[in-house]
Amino acid sequence: MTEKDYNESVLLYADNVYRFIVKNLRHNEDAEDILQSAFEKLWIHKDNVEPSKAKSYLFTVAYHLLIDHTRKAKRISLQESFENDTQTAYQENKALKKVLHDALATLNETQRSLVLLKDYEGYSYEEIGEITKLTTDQVRVYLHRARLKLRNYLISPQQVL
Amino acid sequence: MQNINLHNYQDFLLRYIDEELNLRETEDLLAFVALHPAVGEELESLQSTKLEIESIACPSKALLYKNIFPVTLEPTTIVYPNKQKLFKKEKEKAPVILLRWWAVGAAAIFIFIVARNGMFNGEAGNGLSKNNVAKNNSVKPVSSPVNNPINNISTPNDTIVNTGSIVSTNVKEDQQNITTNPLERSVLRDVAYHTIQNASTVAASEAEHTIPSYNGSIIDIKPTVIAEITAAPIALNESAETEEPNETIETIDTEAASSNRSVMVGAFEIDKDKFRGLFRKANALFKNKENNKNEK
Repeated sequence: MTEKDYNESVLLYADNVYRFIVKNLRHNEDAEDILQSAFEKLWIHKDNVEPSKAKSYLFTVAYHLLIDHTRKAKRISLQESFENDTQTAYQENKALKKVLHDALATLNETQRSLVLLKDYEGYSYEEIGEITKLTTDQVRVYLHRARLKLRNYLISPQQVL
Repeated sequence: MQNINLHNYQDFLLRYIDEELNLRETEDLLAFVALHPAVGEELESLQSTKLEIESIACPSKALLYKNIFPVTLEPTTIVYPNKQKLFKKEKEKAPVILLRWWAVGAAAIFIFIVARNGMFNGEAGNGLSKNNVAKNNSVKPVSSPVNNPINNISTPNDTIVNTGSIVSTNVKEDQQNITTNPLERSVLRDVAYHTIQNASTVAASEAEHTIPSYNGSIIDIKPTVIAEITAAPIALNESAETEEPNETIETIDTEAASSNRSVMVGAFEIDKDKFRGLFRKANALFKNKENNKNEK
C-alpha cells in the first residue's frame, strides 16, 4: 500500500469506520481516538496491507480496539457516572431510531459489532468472521441471537406503551 | 438443499434479513411466507431490527491524511539592511616575513661565525700588522715634522701606523707613494692648504685626533682625524725651500673617511650601512610583529 492508497482509504473508509465505532461506543471523542489509532496502525503496516484489504483491515483493528476500550472502561468504577457528565451521547433524531439504538445498547460488544458490521457495512458472515476472528457459524448464530434480542426489545410492552 | 418448514423457517427469515440467501432460497421463502401470514408478521418484526444506513461524517477526517498537502514556503525577498557591516576585508599578509626571519637568522649566524673566525685570525693578524708596520718604518723613515713640513702632510702615518690597523697602513703607503713625487707633492700641498683653510673655520677642538684601536678580532674604528691644526693657516704659495717651522699640517684623510663606512671583521670588509639597514629591518620586523599582536 502506497501513500496514495492510504489516503484513498481515508477518503473511502474513515466515515464507515467512525460510524461503526461511534455506534458501538456512543461517544464521539472516544470514537475519534479509536479511529485515529486504527488509521495510524494502517499507516505503520501499510507495506504489509494490500489496498483491497484496507477496509477489512481497518474494521478489524477498530473492532479489537473497541473491545479493548470497552473492557478497559468496565474496569473503571466511575465510568458510568462519568458518562452522564462528560460523554456526549450520540444524538438520535427520530424516536424509532432512538428505541432501536437503545435496544442495540442492550447487546454485548460482539453482538453489537456483528449487527453493525452486517447492517452498516454489508459484510458477509465470512468477512465478519475474519474481522472478529470468529467462525462463520459463530457469526451466524451470534447475529441471529442479536436480532431476536432486538426484536424482543422492540415488541416488549414498555416499548409498545 | 433444505426445504422450508415451520421448524426451520426462522433461520431462513434471519438469513433473509442478513441477505445471506441465494435466489432460489429467497423465492422459496417468499412462497412460504405467502402461505403462512403469521410468518409474514414475524418477518416484519425482524426487519424492524435491521439498522438503516445513516451517513455519519468523521469530524477529524482531515487529520488522518498523510502528506497530502505538501508544505512549501514561498520564496520571499528579505534584504538585510546592515549588510555592509558584515563585509570583511582580509588583511594583506606578508609571506615574506618568514623569509626575512630566515634571512635575519642566517645573517646573525653568519656574523657570529665570521666574528669567531675573525677572533682567532685576529691574534695571528696582529703579528702581520706589526710586521707591516715594521716594514713601513724600515722602508721609509719618517723625517721630523719640524725639519720637513712637506713630509708632515703625508706623515700622520706614524700615528696611524701605531694603531696597527691594516687599513691605515695601506692608506699610509698610498700617501707615501704620492708624496714621493715633488710635483704631486706641491699639488697635494695646495689641496691640503685649501682644506686646512676650510677646516680652520671649524673649531679646532672639534677635530678629534683619535687613534683607531684594535680590540682583538674586531676592529673598532673611531672617527679618524680629518685635520689637526696647531697654527694659523699658512700660505703655501711660497717655495718649498722656505722653512715654516711652527706649523704642523696634517692631510685630510679622505680615504680614511670613506673607510669609516666599512668595518673590518677578521679578513672581511663589511659596510656599516648594510649592517645598519639590516638592524633597521630587524627592528621593523619586531615592531610589526608587536603591532600585529596588539591589534589582535
